[in-house]
Amino acid sequence: MNFWLLLTINSITFGGLLFLLSSGFSLIFGLMRIPNLTHGSMFMVGAYLGSTFLSGALGFTSDFWVAAILSAIEVAVLGALMERLLLRRLTGQPLAQVLVTLGVSLMVADLCLMGWGGDPISVETPAGLGGFVRAGPAVFPLYRMAIIVIAVVFAIALWLLLERTRLGAMIRAGVDDPQMARVVGIRVSQLFTIVFGLGAGLAGFAGMIGAPILSIYPGLDQDMLPLALVVVILGGTGSLLGSFVGSILIGFIYNFGQALLPELAYFVLFLPMVIVLVVRPQGLFGGQVL
Amino acid sequence: MANSALVLSGIDAYYGDSHVLQKVSFELGEGRLLGLLGRNGAGKSTCMNVSVGLLPPRAGVVEVFGTPVTRLPPEQIAARGVALVPQGRRVFKSLTVRENLIVAARDKDAATRHANWNAATVFAMFPRLAERANQLSAHLSGGEQQMLAIGRALMANPRVLLMDEPSEGLAPQIVAEVMTTIRKLKESGLSIVLVEQSPKLVFDIADDIVILNSGRVAVVSTAAALKNDGVDLRQHLGVF
Repeated sequence: MNFWLLLTINSITFGGLLFLLSSGFSLIFGLMRIPNLTHGSMFMVGAYLGSTFLSGALGFTSDFWVAAILSAIEVAVLGALMERLLLRRLTGQPLAQVLVTLGVSLMVADLCLMGWGGDPISVETPAGLGGFVRAGPAVFPLYRMAIIVIAVVFAIALWLLLERTRLGAMIRAGVDDPQMARVVGIRVSQLFTIVFGLGAGLAGFAGMIGAPILSIYPGLDQDMLPLALVVVILGGTGSLLGSFVGSILIGFIYNFGQALLPELAYFVLFLPMVIVLVVRPQGLFGGQVL
Repeated sequence: MANSALVLSGIDAYYGDSHVLQKVSFELGEGRLLGLLGRNGAGKSTCMNVSVGLLPPRAGVVEVFGTPVTRLPPEQIAARGVALVPQGRRVFKSLTVRENLIVAARDKDAATRHANWNAATVFAMFPRLAERANQLSAHLSGGEQQMLAIGRALMANPRVLLMDEPSEGLAPQIVAEVMTTIRKLKESGLSIVLVEQSPKLVFDIADDIVILNSGRVAVVSTAAALKNDGVDLRQHLGVF
């Protein structure tokens, strides 16, 4: 009983992390039609930067949450710069965008290896969240419960931003019909930068939040990117609800697949993606065909 | 003619290798309504796309109230007071009616003398939109979407309004409503280009007429002068 409950909690926790990672990826693809293959790198860089803030290597030691916020801001700025300096020049050239983002992700991986070395870095669970919660015979790790709460809070905040503000309506208008959005006076290029920065920042934040569970290691980016891709294909591009549902689904499929059918874990993970692409290419909640 | 609100001068525009506008020139006077006529594929919508910056011309100049806007991006042309009611409506379907209006809202320019448009005034003009303010625009009928497209364009408090076949695909009763709205907008002093295939709709309302034929300007005249001239219309539009 405990095994199944723990597996369920782990699945929801992992789904929460995936939501933080994939919501930005989905918005970027939905609005800009850019398959941003650096998104896994943003996750990894966020984790590495956060670990540096924690370690005191910069002359000061910060709190875990401060480190997470600082790394998210830094990764957001990096993402916005990449959009402004590189991707803007490749508008309407999807193949070039794929190749450039793939190239940048490989370069980032090398830079991280150079800067932080090849050994995995463990990050301590933040103070006060190292314990467990007991509910009858079941025991739940407190930090994993905290991740679920954080993901839900971010989901609500993002929903409010997208559904209840003029900026959010402009972003959705840009996802619907970017040309017409520009004609009605929406500065879509500014929105691109904001959304790219926001998406990158969320990925960076997720990287640091996930570090106590996943640890940080070379190749973390390439482990996370396919998961974000699967979530977005499953949920649909540009759809926050799709990202949320897709993340939780993949969280379950990934964890249960690893536990019950470890030799077929990737088969179980990618099968839903293949089926959705064939049967419903716009995803479960998306409006656009990938 | 009054001061020029919009001038297209010697416009050459292409879709790929296809030369769709060839030295097209015409002028919209301030406060006037220009009917832009032509058969399917004559280049009417392309003129609209060039005017709002969606299709930068290879040659020629576009001016809005004397200021060149050629090759400016669409959002900057919108900021100079040009709004488009596009062919096919193109409302933002994942947005509610109200959201479609507020994303296009722009404060009234000091140079704009006519009505100050906001969501309340648009709803007053189109009460049916007010009833559906919180519905997704995807769920509106064709006529309601057309009203929303017009309302969205007005929310920018434009000085020049471009309307690309606003009667397309609508029932005759709705077309009459749309034409009444256009007449009211004209009376408010707005400078309007009305693109239509049907000359019957345009002749009653337009001050000036431009007829395009195969990407070239074939006729430039006042509506009054053209009204009884069947020769040009037969030749270029195949009607009357």
